[in-house]
Amino acid sequence: MQAKGPFVSDPDFSTFKPWRRGNRFEDFEVGQVFTHHWGRTLTAGDATLFASVAHRYCPLYLNAEYAKSEGHDDLVVDPLLVLATAIGLSVEDLSEAGGPFLGVNQVEFEAPLYPGDTLTCVSEVLEKRESESRPNTGIVTWRTTGSKQDGQVVVRYSRTNLVVKQGRGA
Amino acid sequence: MNITGNDTYFEDFEVGQRIKHARGTTIDEVENQMLTKLVMNTASGHWNEHAMKDTPFGSRLVFGFITASMVIGLATQDTGENAVKELGFDKIRFKKPVFHGDTVYAYTEVLDMKSTQDGGIITFKHWGVNQKEEVVFEGERRVLLKKHPVGNAS
Repeated sequence: MQAKGPFVSDPDFSTFKPWRRGNRFEDFEVGQVFTHHWGRTLTAGDATLFASVAHRYCPLYLNAEYAKSEGHDDLVVDPLLVLATAIGLSVEDLSEAGGPFLGVNQVEFEAPLYPGDTLTCVSEVLEKRESESRPNTGIVTWRTTGSKQDGQVVVRYSRTNLVVKQGRGA
Repeated sequence: MNITGNDTYFEDFEVGQRIKHARGTTIDEVENQMLTKLVMNTASGHWNEHAMKDTPFGSRLVFGFITASMVIGLATQDTGENAVKELGFDKIRFKKPVFHGDTVYAYTEVLDMKSTQDGGIITFKHWGVNQKEEVVFEGERRVLLKKHPVGNAS
């Protein structure tokens, strides 16, 4: 690589190897289990930011004294934040490669999450099939379980997405 | 004034009741970007304006569960202020894409009510409708609501 003037030129970025993220339709098998990355400790800051911006004006989520008077130890983390975080943590494994939601069903909140609790998620492939209307994609359904640090399940749900096939999409 | 309203307890609803909630909201770029990243959704369809310019969408999309949370949020004072807990959701569908700057309104129908010892379980159906009167989100939500404290019946 030739330097231009007094400065070393930038490298040729087209020669850098892309780091692939996300799975394609062919990567999924029924029964396959994904233990999703990272986990997320949901703090009081996360909980009150989310509940405030989403106008979730139930004082269980925003008024710790009220939540305590209702028998909780602290604020209750908004279950919608728990659900959105479970989905967020699962995106790279399940849907980052491309394809919209077709639906989310049977969402069950089994226990409250409190500030400082850490959410981790696991998904199992329930079903996969070809899309008749869109041959470049298939349809995959997963069942996801979100748990906190002591193993207590806090949320379960099923989700179905269109999933791109290899060589298609992002 | 009480912490919560006096007209949002279990007994204040009836099956078939339909509500247009008082407030709409414009989903701003900063809200979707901040909340989508807060929940660690890594899909670049929500992050990368440059990449989305060349797609049929032409722009970043609001993450569906931010739309769902915002729409249910618009309905929460009326249908969840006196909640004991949220029990679950079902049949969540995203019927149109939502873009930064779109405005959503919330509509609710009471599908089912079941009195229990510690309150009552209501199944609500919620719809999110954009400024073009298109349904962008719909879903069912089950909530355990308190009953009126004794002596507090409206």
